[in-house]
Parts: sequence; C-alpha cells; structure tokens
Amino acid sequence: MNAPAPPFVRFTFSFLLIAALPCALAASATPAPAATPAATPAAKPAAAKPAAATPAAAAPPCEACHGAHGEGMAAAHVPRIARQSADYLKKQLDDYAAGTRDNPIMANFAKALSEQQRAKFAARYAAMSAPYIPQPKPPIAVHLARGHQLAFQGDEAKRVQACNACHGPDGVGVPHAAPYLAGQSAEFLASALKAFKDGTRKNDAGELMRSVAERLDDADIAAVTGYFASVDLSNH
Amino acid sequence: MVQRLKEVDVVVIGVGMVGSIVAKELAAAGYKVVGLERGQTRFTVPEFQSPAVHDELRFDIRKALMQDNTREPVTFRNQGSQVALPVRRWESFLPGTGLGGSMVHWNGQTYRFQATDFQLATRTRERYGKNFLDPDVTIQDWGVTYDDLEPHYDRFEYLLGTSGKAGNIKGRIQAGGDPHESPRFRDYPTPPQKEHFQGAMFRKAAGSLGYHPFPQPSSNLSQPYTNPEGVKLNACVFCGFCERYACEHYAKSVPQTVILPVLLANPNFELRTGCQVQRIDLDSTKKHATGVTYIDAVGRVFEQPASLVITSTFAINNIRMLLLSGIGKPYDPATGHGVVGRNYAYQTMSTVASFFDEDVIINPFMASGASGTLINDFAGDNFDHSGLGFIGGAYIGAVNTNGRPIQYHPVPPGTPAWGKGWKQAVVKHYNHTVMFSCHGSSVSQRQNYCDLDPTYRDAWGQPVLRITFDFPPNDIKMAAYVTAKAVEIGKAMGAKQVVGSPRKGPYTVTQYQTTHNTGGTVMGDDPKTSVVNRYLQSWDVPNVFVIGASNYPQNATWNPTGTLGALTYWAIDALKNKYLKNPGRLVSA
Repeated sequence: MNAPAPPFVRFTFSFLLIAALPCALAASATPAPAATPAATPAAKPAAAKPAAATPAAAAPPCEACHGAHGEGMAAAHVPRIARQSADYLKKQLDDYAAGTRDNPIMANFAKALSEQQRAKFAARYAAMSAPYIPQPKPPIAVHLARGHQLAFQGDEAKRVQACNACHGPDGVGVPHAAPYLAGQSAEFLASALKAFKDGTRKNDAGELMRSVAERLDDADIAAVTGYFASVDLSNH
Repeated sequence: MVQRLKEVDVVVIGVGMVGSIVAKELAAAGYKVVGLERGQTRFTVPEFQSPAVHDELRFDIRKALMQDNTREPVTFRNQGSQVALPVRRWESFLPGTGLGGSMVHWNGQTYRFQATDFQLATRTRERYGKNFLDPDVTIQDWGVTYDDLEPHYDRFEYLLGTSGKAGNIKGRIQAGGDPHESPRFRDYPTPPQKEHFQGAMFRKAAGSLGYHPFPQPSSNLSQPYTNPEGVKLNACVFCGFCERYACEHYAKSVPQTVILPVLLANPNFELRTGCQVQRIDLDSTKKHATGVTYIDAVGRVFEQPASLVITSTFAINNIRMLLLSGIGKPYDPATGHGVVGRNYAYQTMSTVASFFDEDVIINPFMASGASGTLINDFAGDNFDHSGLGFIGGAYIGAVNTNGRPIQYHPVPPGTPAWGKGWKQAVVKHYNHTVMFSCHGSSVSQRQNYCDLDPTYRDAWGQPVLRITFDFPPNDIKMAAYVTAKAVEIGKAMGAKQVVGSPRKGPYTVTQYQTTHNTGGTVMGDDPKTSVVNRYLQSWDVPNVFVIGASNYPQNATWNPTGTLGALTYWAIDALKNKYLKNPGRLVSA
C-alpha cells in the first residue's frame, strides 16, 4: 500500500470540491498512521466514478496537491514535481493510466488524460521552477551522516549501492533515466521507498528500486530520505 | 629472515574468479585454506561506486585496475631474434590485480566453447586431412570433452546468473538461440538482456542473409537473480562502463557479487592481501611442493607451508609462477622440447565500421559489456574450411560495449588523425556508426611462447615474463575471410560506407585488442606436450594444480571466461572427489 493512505482517502471523497482540499489536507496533516490494508482498495470504487465523469479535455487539478509551482505538499506525501524530468513524469502518468503504478487518485487523473495530454503536463512541470522548501524539522546529525553515506557510498554489508549511482551527483537526477531526489520531501521519498519495499509499487525497470529498497530498514529509510530532503536543489 | 607459518591444507595463489571459487569449495569441504592476493581488498561499496568509477581517464587510459607494471611488467617481442622490451603501459591486453582479479573489469561475455574445440587436432585431421595445416601450427586436443565439461559450464552459468537464450537444449534446436552451440542441459538462468538498436539492425541484416543471429550471453544481468550460493545480484542499467571498470550496481557477475560473501564468511578461509608470492617451494626431490614463499606489503618474507598448492592467477602469471618455481620443463622453441610457456596464444580481433547518415541514431552509449547480437555462422568449425587454407573462425556481431567519450570515436578512413578535421568527423559519426567485432580464434604455433626474461626483473628482484608472439599466418587468413563476411552484413544494413579492418600482422602490444591471453601451462593427455593433466594437476609436482586460461592448448573463437569457469568446477570435482581422498597422481604419466 502507499503509505499515506489516510490523506488520499480523504482526497478521494473530497476532490470534486477543490476548494475544500486545503481543509481536508490540513485535517490530515497530523502524522499518518500506517496504512490500513482495507483503506485504499475501498477507496478505489469510490474514486472511479467521479473520474469517469471528468471530461477528458478538462485540466486535472494538479495544482491542488502538487502546488502552484509544483512544489508538492510534503505533509501529505505529495511529491515535488517542479523541474522533474519530463520523461520520468510522463512515464509515471502513463503507468498510472495503465495501472502499473497503483494510486487511486493519480490513476483517475491519468486515465482521464490522452497520451498527448500526459506528455503536455509532464513537460509543463518539467519546465516549472519552485523554491526549495526546507524541512520543518531538520534531521539530526547522526541520521544525516548515515543518509549521506547511503547517498554517496552505499553499504557493502547490505549490498546497497550509492543512490547517486543512478540518481546523479547529490541526487540531482539523470534526465531520461532517474528522477531527482535532492530537495524532494522526506515524507514522499519514504512512502515511495516503503511502497517499493513492500512491493505495492513495481513500475521500476529491472526491479532496480525494489532490489535496493528491500534491503533498507526503517532507520535507513528515515536517514536517506531526510538527507535528500535537506539538499537544496536550487543550488545546482 | 624468513618467517615460517603454521601449515595449512591448501594455499591458493591469486584470489580472483578461479581462486574464489576453488577456495570457497575447499573451505566448505572442511579444509583450511589460505588465499594470497597480491593486490588490495576491494568491494562494490565503497571502491566501485560512482562517480569515481566512471572516471575514463583513470580507468580506461591510466588502467587503474590493472597489474602494476612499474613493479611487475612483462617484456615483449614479436620474434625470437629480437630483444624483448618491458611493456610499461598496458594496451594490447589488461591483466587485473586485487581481490576479485581481472574479472572485476570484465565485460561479462559468457560463452561456451563448442564440442569440436576440445578435439581440435583430431577434428581437423579427420575433416580436412593430415597436411591441411601449416607444419608450425601446434594445436592439440584438450584431454577433456565438451560432455565432460557441460555440467560444469552449467554450474558456472548458474553461479553468475548469465542472461541468454539457449540454442540447443539436449539436442533440440531452440528458436532465437544459437543453433550452432553444443547441446546444453537447460536454458540460461536469466533471459537475454534487452537488445540495443544496433543489435536489432544487425539481427535484421544477418537474418536477411540467411545467418542465425542470437543475443550475446551476458553476465550483466537482465533481471535480479539469486544464485545457488544464496547471493543476490541486481539488474544491469546499461551504463556502458563494464570493461576496464568495476560495476557499482551489483549487476555484473564478479567474485564480489557472486561468491566472496560466502567465502569470506567461512572461518576455514583466510584472505591475505598485499602478498606477492615469489615461488612455490619444492622439497629436495623437486616432485613435491611444501608450500609457497611470499613477501608482504612491508617486505617481510613468509613461508606458508601447505599440503596442496593451487595457482589461479591470470594466464601469463600462472606461466611465470611455474617457471620461477622450477615446476615443469621450460619450452625451447629451437628444439620444440619442454612444455612450460609452450602454446601461448591470443585472440584474433577484427572490426567493421558501418557509417550511416545522421538520421540513423545509434546511441552507442546505451549498452552493457555483453548486450550485443551476433552470429556463429563463421565461428570455429561451423563452416567448411576446405580450400580456405586455415582453420578456426570468428563470431561476428554488433557487440559494441560503450560510447565513452575519450575512447569511442569511429571515423572513416581519410579523416585527419587530429585537429579540427578530426573533431568535426567525430561529431558527425559518433552517433551514426555501428561497430562490429569479428572475435576470432587463435592457433598455437611453434614460435609463439613465454619464458623468463634474461634481463629485466620485477620490484622483488625476480625475472619477469617474456612473451614472444606474432599472429600465425593461419589466423591472418581467417581474419581476412571472416571480416569480408562481416562487411557484407554491414552493407545489408544499408550503411552509407562500410569499412572492414581485418587483423593484420605484425601483432602490436601497444594497441588494445582483447585480454584473452591463453596457453603456456596447457592441459592434455601427454606430459610431453602438456604441463597439467586433464584434471589440471601438474605432471611433475602432483600436489600443485594450475587453473587458468593458461590451460588452453589454443584459443577458440569465443571469450574464454565461461570455459575457464567450467574447467574450474571440473578441477574442483576432481580435487574433492579424487585427489583429496587419496592424494597422488590422478593420471599416470
């Protein structure tokens, strides 16, 4: 399951009322409990109807969650997508539409879009820039050091290579190949890693992310996601 | 002062692929094993991590992973009449050093030889007659057959997780695989890697000419894989930095990623790095080894007594170890007598460049070391050599491994060698050229051999190895024939210009060709023409085993690693089930 199921569940019932969203999010910004297995599947049928009713030509309200500049919404585990590689964003939208990446909200939006529209939205956000948003509570030094070690060096005992090996120096991303991690919200990165780890997300070519995530424990995930969230991508 | 250490059961010289596998098996069987490695300990993390590991200047040009030839060079000459000089910069071939050995920087191309290769002398005589070959050619049978080795090939491929498509399972031809391969018991452990665009172009063109293209067997894996040792590898990301580099992704099968975690966890095994073995020590009869003498990184001299010594170093270093130890009679090309250093061979590499217009985008950088497409229609003895005047052949394939900026820049003939004209041509052709390899066999020949250099010594005062080698006329003819076939495939791809470069003599040690040095401690059934018997046991000193591509009586068409892995498991089988139960000669001389 995607970790932030409770906020998503709230979205699914409320997103037709866009104006209500911030309230819903504010209500759900308290630390999310672990996803209950029943929550997301139950949300699916509910989510399907409104999406089907959405005219294909209408712009889905990306901004409501991903922010006016694509800065994301960390507390709700919504990723920053400004300046993310267009290839990466397009692939995610395609995967949501095809059902190979599981997220009821995004699936509904993506399915409502034509392939051309998905490409257009991907390109739009790839071209956007958003200010770096520091974490409300910076990671403590020892976690930062462990996160930095995983990012730059990896861990032989766990047979985990450096994140930067694929995600580029300091996690700035490699267009066409791997998304940036630098400046991404720790909450989102952690939920993504956990989704790869428990197998609910499997749209990674060659199981590349699942192979890594399955070897990381909770402390590693907290450390490495805290580290990347602490990197201000606007410096690059 | 020599410090004498406590005796152990087994000393393994060189902890590369062979040494790791042998040590793992014998330690697991309960024997006390010491592994002596001249280089340093190194692991995927931290030593192989990027971005440092993608430093082309450091690894490609300056050969950071290779044997330190300021301390331990070889000397080289083409002919016995010349004075050999030290090779101070590796180019033609690249012996590695350090834990994991040369395999750390390999491309992952994991072939089997064919059944006919192991009985090459007999097969050639039977098919083409007694006098078909140049009398200087000294090819011989291996003393083992493909059927002997098949289970061991299988075991090695499953250790590595090799990605490929079988062409012949138990005699049944499999669509999409290599129909020429000798029968295998089962398919590869993982499916082939994704085909790159140049591979797809090659497949189409070669198929249109009636040939049989198939995916290159790769030990850069197509998907995650857990091997029978319980070690898990990741999928390859096609970064194009395999050969000359280490893999940062745990995706290339090397000792670190397939067996060292198991070996190093066994308390029966002790790894000592920075240890330069000087010789295998013999008793006064010269028929029994007592152990080895080595010098550690700070210059202390140790004698490590052992009941069994296995030398598993890079091919040319195996030869030198025997020569330095006085094991086996050194080969004399004047008389043809002696065996150590005899039948040194190489690989006969030719290329074909197909230049396209700029609307054909190749993206050569998207590759692994073994993600190509090739044909075996002109390999080995897969075609009739009657009237051709040579034996052997080459595989032809779009098997280019990279598009790295310093080393990869194909340009057509007539391009200036430097300056503005060269730069413009590089820009024009970089992304619009398909390179084929013609990866050819190498016959052994009377004049080609290795011995100890009379002049040059290494940093420890020991004579270095001297290589005397030139391309045999047989192989030059083979290269011309096969390269012409490859040019036809380039034309069938619709290239604007196709340039074949068949290998020509003299052999030059200053141009990279391939790191497939073979022979010098060859295996066989006759002690007059081989150094080790069919179980890789020294004829002269039965408690010494020599395992390496130095065992090959001549080199076949394909990259040698797969066959070396099979020979390693074959020898382990003989060690565990025969020799160690009752130490002594496994074959009577």
